[in-house]
Amino acid sequence: MLFTNWLEDKSKIILFDGAMGTQLMNRDLEPGKIPDLLNIENPEVVKKVLASYYDAGSDMVQTCTFSSNVVSLNRHNISNLYQKINVEAINNIKAILPSEENLIVGDIGPSGEFRPPVGNASGDMWKAGFQKQAKILAPGIDLWHIETISDLQEMSAAIQGIKEVSEKPIIASMTYRKTKTRGFFTIMGDSVETCVTKLEEEKVDVIGTNCTLGSDQMIELIKELVNLTDIPISAKPNAGQPRLSGGNTLYDQPVEDYVNDIGQMIDLGVKIVGGCCGTTPTHIRKIRTLIDSR
Amino acid sequence: MDTEEIYREMANSIVSLDQEKAVHLANQALDESMDLLQVIEKGFGEGIRKVGDLWDEGEFFLPELMSGAQIMEKAVDIITPGLQSSGSERQSSGKVLLATIEGDIHSIGKTIVATMLKANGFQVVDLGTDVKAEKIVDEAIKGDIDIIGVSTLLTTTMVNQKKVIDLLNQKNIRNKFKVIFGGAPVTQGWVDECGADGYAENAVESVKLVKELIQ
Repeated sequence: MLFTNWLEDKSKIILFDGAMGTQLMNRDLEPGKIPDLLNIENPEVVKKVLASYYDAGSDMVQTCTFSSNVVSLNRHNISNLYQKINVEAINNIKAILPSEENLIVGDIGPSGEFRPPVGNASGDMWKAGFQKQAKILAPGIDLWHIETISDLQEMSAAIQGIKEVSEKPIIASMTYRKTKTRGFFTIMGDSVETCVTKLEEEKVDVIGTNCTLGSDQMIELIKELVNLTDIPISAKPNAGQPRLSGGNTLYDQPVEDYVNDIGQMIDLGVKIVGGCCGTTPTHIRKIRTLIDSR
Repeated sequence: MDTEEIYREMANSIVSLDQEKAVHLANQALDESMDLLQVIEKGFGEGIRKVGDLWDEGEFFLPELMSGAQIMEKAVDIITPGLQSSGSERQSSGKVLLATIEGDIHSIGKTIVATMLKANGFQVVDLGTDVKAEKIVDEAIKGDIDIIGVSTLLTTTMVNQKKVIDLLNQKNIRNKFKVIFGGAPVTQGWVDECGADGYAENAVESVKLVKELIQ
């Protein structure tokens, strides 16, 4: 399988995609509306963003399904649409897939529900919600990206839910923040080391991290990660921190700085690179140039 | 055990997230007719402040922060009837209205802020999520609110935070309320642009901010 070959090829750096949500916002996504709904309501705009990343040089791009697990859709009172959204999300990405040399990644985002004492979620509830989504996406995708997860227990629930219905490779990306004195932790208190140990135990194919941190801070995190595991690592940082001006969300970090930081992460041993909030096809195109020039 | 020692035990019960012990000590305070205001201020209140510090230092995370605040609330609930019957009341630190703005259904950050504010002696009116600016302003007027807190997680709905300030200005009542913003994308720049009174990075900071503004 192509993805496994890429992982085994020591010289290959895999280029993932950039942001979906912030790209759709720039195309007048209604405030508060979940981007995933556009798979049904405005598939052309979703296809445009997906295609823009393949065009920019992404080896693989993920489906517009970040919030389309059943628990998350339920919070928006549209869980009845979970089949339709996920089916159309596959149709949309397949319609613009440029070649067999490009892969489709099934995107699985957080449920938005926390376990006690913070909220009322349970492992079974999470697992069932992810599994329903995974069943629909499974036939149409090449691999999984579970991302932006801040609770290791939720990550485990997602991995187990997926593994029961699919044998395709999994990238498991946690999101960390930097504490004042103790390094990187998830907001639920999982350290990088705890996460790596658990994810190795769960036998994921790639250990990843995305969102929350800008590219400069993510370099520090990657330094920790590479020392903790031999499993390939994926990094999708934000394009710095957002700033709102005149109703528009702006990411001020120069693209060159971002790409330079990604270059440092590759030097540290990161296998898969891409971007999260605020990144654009321009970021991806410049990372493509960087990778190809190495 | 002398009184100071009991206060320390009370604080410790919150910091060690020991609900059973906190409940026991709250009942003991009632049985022994202790000065209940001091029990809250020097005992349990000291504990929740320490929980906040530990969060700030990165020793505690969301589960510990929420547990600590919930145990604090339980202890205060036990003591409150005793306070009322003795004719004294825990002095409210102020009235805060919280809401997640129109278009945004994210509640967790706001709920944590509400829990921490209550644990620190503020009266909190929580309007929930996806709340229109008009409703926030109406309820603030009705509820004789000191501080309006508007939350958002999404950069797409962040623009709606400003509507609250605009509306207060239109009604010429901007000076009657302090308005604070919360949520991951909020920055000082956004606060300045909107003319809000402040923002906090997290629930612990929000307690400090509200205390400062209410003085």
